[in-house]
Amino acid sequence: MADTALRPEMTHPVTASPAPRPARGRRRSPLAPYLFVAPAVVLFVVFMLIPLGYTIWSSLRAYRIEEGASVLGVRVDRFVGLENYVAVLQDAELLASFGRLGIYGVIAVPLTLGLALLFALLLDVPAVRAKRFARTAIFIPYAVPGITAALLWGFMYLPSTSPFSYVTNALGWGPIPFLEADGLFGSLANIAIWGGVGFNMIIIYTSLRGIPAEIYESARLDGASELQVALRIKVPLVVPALVLTGVFALIGTLQLYGEPNTLRPLTTEITQSWAPLMTIYRDAFLTDDLPSAAASSTILALGTVALSAIVLGVANRRRKEGVS
Amino acid sequence: MRHPKTVRAAALATLLIGGAALSGCSAVGGDDVVRLEYWGWGVGQSEQVALWNAANPDVQVRHTDAGGGTDSAAKLLTSSRAGNAPDVALAEYTTIPSLVIADVPRDITDLVADVDDAFTEGTWAQTTFGGQVYALPQDAGPMVLTYRADLLAETGQAVPTTWQEFGDVARAVHEQRPDTVLAAVPAGELGFWAGVSAQAGADWWSVDEDGWTVGIADERMLEVADFFEQLAVDGSIDTDPVLSPEYNKRVNDGTIGGWAAGIWAPSVLGGVAPDTSGSWEITPLPEWTPGDAAVPFQGGSALIVTKNSEHPEEAAAFAKWMNASTEGNQSLLDVRGVYPASIEGQELAIGNAPPSLMPQQTEFYDVAAEVSEDVLPTTWGPNVALATTTLTDELNAAIAAGTPWRDAFVATQAVVVADMEEVGYQVTTNG
Repeated sequence: MADTALRPEMTHPVTASPAPRPARGRRRSPLAPYLFVAPAVVLFVVFMLIPLGYTIWSSLRAYRIEEGASVLGVRVDRFVGLENYVAVLQDAELLASFGRLGIYGVIAVPLTLGLALLFALLLDVPAVRAKRFARTAIFIPYAVPGITAALLWGFMYLPSTSPFSYVTNALGWGPIPFLEADGLFGSLANIAIWGGVGFNMIIIYTSLRGIPAEIYESARLDGASELQVALRIKVPLVVPALVLTGVFALIGTLQLYGEPNTLRPLTTEITQSWAPLMTIYRDAFLTDDLPSAAASSTILALGTVALSAIVLGVANRRRKEGVS
Repeated sequence: MRHPKTVRAAALATLLIGGAALSGCSAVGGDDVVRLEYWGWGVGQSEQVALWNAANPDVQVRHTDAGGGTDSAAKLLTSSRAGNAPDVALAEYTTIPSLVIADVPRDITDLVADVDDAFTEGTWAQTTFGGQVYALPQDAGPMVLTYRADLLAETGQAVPTTWQEFGDVARAVHEQRPDTVLAAVPAGELGFWAGVSAQAGADWWSVDEDGWTVGIADERMLEVADFFEQLAVDGSIDTDPVLSPEYNKRVNDGTIGGWAAGIWAPSVLGGVAPDTSGSWEITPLPEWTPGDAAVPFQGGSALIVTKNSEHPEEAAAFAKWMNASTEGNQSLLDVRGVYPASIEGQELAIGNAPPSLMPQQTEFYDVAAEVSEDVLPTTWGPNVALATTTLTDELNAAIAAGTPWRDAFVATQAVVVADMEEVGYQVTTNG
């Protein structure tokens, strides 16, 4: 295509006419790149920048009562500066909810990633059979919608409907306290692990498949066992995938909402402000305090960005140090 | 809920929908047809609206189910801000003050003046603030005790008429059947706590020109909390959430012996445990002071006409037809299966068959009418939703930690008052 297009021009002496082709190219070029990026920019502006701006604008306002037609007064929207941020940052309950996320994350993240890595490595062992079946079986829970999974597990946790508690009851040990203070974090983490292992496994497995086979071949020629190949070659080479899944898991932890919210009607242990997003939901949709919800959201978003940046920064430095 | 009358009425309503659809077609050409949007939840709404549409070709109503009380109120706030709220909407009594301060409903004092005597003063109190009417009451939930008559008979207990007797019966039942409780009194049921404490003389919220008075930590409320805490510590009552899968299973097992709640409780339990039908009865809510029969409301809803409505008169006429006319009340009973708030509706109910949970209690609606004669006027505050989530969390924490329940009410009052003062109200506390 390019050849045939160029050929007629080549027949003209370059000096005779003031270079028609480059001129035509220049006439096209100023607009073309903008047109190409336009869809992305429009989407970014409409679905990211405007909502972001609106959230920040809302977070600087508050509803206040003024005298109205009735004795109840009427609510007006007023600028209050950083008042909402001060209130949110002084909210001990919100701080406590981040603490609960921390405990949950310490259980859920390493177990999800650890199991995902283990399954990926096992699937990558040449001798393993029924790989497709195993891969699909491990992945399927990820396809179950989060709310459905939480409900499903909820019924398996409730003392009177739980098959596990049925067995322990029959053995005379009493029901397992899945939804009591002791077992709650494990029960919540279990739902996330059950649903998340498959997805993370696929990412790590894909990364494993991308490693050139020659490396394994030379390792085996050097007399490395499958275990040594896995630990000394495969794991170091999939570190980027582990960092990626780690950041996803971290963000997923900070955005924990569906599981505790679904289990809330089943137990008195989960409060309406158990996780930060539950507090934000309460403010936005139950108590109609949108500005406060906007302020909490902004802080949560900034915290998520900062934490992700730190994790990625540390991981990058490690990798560079490893290379040098 | 599915008694034969309902089915018959539903069939009739279905026929009428057909009629309405036909008349709707013929009305398309006319420009003078007023079209109203109506939001409401629950069974039979479309059928009831179809009855109106068939009789009023000039004012056609379109019904939308925007979710239950809480969801619908949240959507109303948003749509009102956007300027496109429906003309008429159903709202729970507890949400009406929050809607009024958000400027959602219109002051309909003049528009409903002609049906002033359709409701008792206690009923009007929930929709009237400082003499201005903001909603037309639809259904009412005077509190009753729904209980397992077979359980009391088998354990040799009399039906309790006072809370003292209720406590004795609860202990006796629990002693004879350790896995059974007479009732569950969960932290999350704000309406229950506000109701039983109102019965004892506490007033959670009241408002006049000088501002609000909050009495969530009223001494009488705290004594009520002490009373139920003692029963729970004994194990004679339960504090787990109502209507959870666990609770529903226990209702089916017969290990939950009763529920002190609005008169809608039998319909709810009938849906949860239809197989236990015939074992239940209702009786007036136990009294704190023998002879003081005044009962509180729990639940119930009213119709608002929104400020966004371009046809407030037609909207009010539709609301009055639904809640205050003979035809409307009959359909509230038969098509919707709710207990009407109007005096006429409650009189009409007397002839009706009892709910399916208690077909043998033929005097069901006589009990309901007797209870409705003496109801306590209630005013809900502007931040009931905040009070609900706070009380739920505080009381659950107290139950789990074994600390005094009364502290949860003191803490809730502090949060509720702080919120009201922050938004700019003058607040005094009563306790």
